[in-house]
Amino acid sequence: MEKCEYEYLIDDYLLNKLDKKEKERFEHHYFNCPSCFEKMRERNELISVVKKRGDAIFQGTEVPEETQRVPWRKKVFAFLTPKQWAAVGASAALILAVVLLVIPQLKTSSPEFFVNKDLVRSKSINLISPVIDIKTIPPQFRWKSLGEDVHYKIYIYNSELLWSAETQENSITLPGEVKEKMSAGEEYSWQVKAFSPEGSLIAVSSKVRFKISPN
Amino acid sequence: MEKKNPDLDIEKIIQDYRPIINFRVKKAIGQHTPEWEDVVNEIIVNVIEKLQNNEFRGDSSIGTFIYTITSRRIVDYIRKKSKVLKHIPQPNPFPDPYEQVETREKAELMENAIKELKPKYKKVLYLYYYKGLSRKEVAQKMNITPSQVSERVNYAQKLVQKKIKK
Repeated sequence: MEKCEYEYLIDDYLLNKLDKKEKERFEHHYFNCPSCFEKMRERNELISVVKKRGDAIFQGTEVPEETQRVPWRKKVFAFLTPKQWAAVGASAALILAVVLLVIPQLKTSSPEFFVNKDLVRSKSINLISPVIDIKTIPPQFRWKSLGEDVHYKIYIYNSELLWSAETQENSITLPGEVKEKMSAGEEYSWQVKAFSPEGSLIAVSSKVRFKISPN
Repeated sequence: MEKKNPDLDIEKIIQDYRPIINFRVKKAIGQHTPEWEDVVNEIIVNVIEKLQNNEFRGDSSIGTFIYTITSRRIVDYIRKKSKVLKHIPQPNPFPDPYEQVETREKAELMENAIKELKPKYKKVLYLYYYKGLSRKEVAQKMNITPSQVSERVNYAQKLVQKKIKK
């Protein structure tokens, strides 16, 4: 038997859940639709038996408890007590404060330099060694390469500029005369600047301090 | 009585429509209202008279024609009753099981068939028809969708009908 579009109204009609208009529409329909009337008659039998004999039929039937679908918001909020949620909130605020206030300060900013009196923030050059206190005068200074066709200028300072040199390598060996000027127990700093083949400044490293430990 | 319209088999029409009229009247005025059978008989007599008098001209279907006569008679009955009684008779939610199931034996067969259903079908019948929950409420309790509630009820009914016809 083909399914009639009115079939979905059968239950609601029998259970008196239709409004007046829908009820009349369905009643008019089943006077013209033997299929719906037959299905409604069968459904009425089923409902009647369930209603009248339910006590006997469902004796011992395990009925699901109030396992209503809980909206996800309620599930989330039920996961912790209000006090715990307050603690979570405070912790989150603290973490946020650290992230927003402290971490940016720890982050080394890109080096700044001036081009025609304008402040320029450039990409950085990573200095490899020396970057920590060392026991002996470093024989060589090394930094990360920025690629081919780049030349570098290295500056070594104590209280003032001690030495500077240019190279196309990403390292440079300290000449003997410079080593002689350096001594244990002193603190130094160094910096590298990178230039394009045209001579434009393209990158500057941070100024890194190191100390030669006293013997 | 002389049949004026040769195309209409009035006897067949009445045979086909009597159960529908019965159902409609009992649903409207309540099967415990003693007059329900009288109301049905009046409707049938009225239908036969109108058919014999050629009042059915085929402008609508025969179903609509009989539906209109039935509805008018029910309205008349309720109006008259409400003049006598303070309250209009309350219709039953649905006609009596033993009247519709025909015999106690059939009701028992259905009872046993429902008992033998798988729990997932039995629980839906329990919550939806016995406890009177809405489809949505049943769906929530059983963690299924409202349309699955209808599907399970339909399938449960098919299984019950199959078992009682064995």
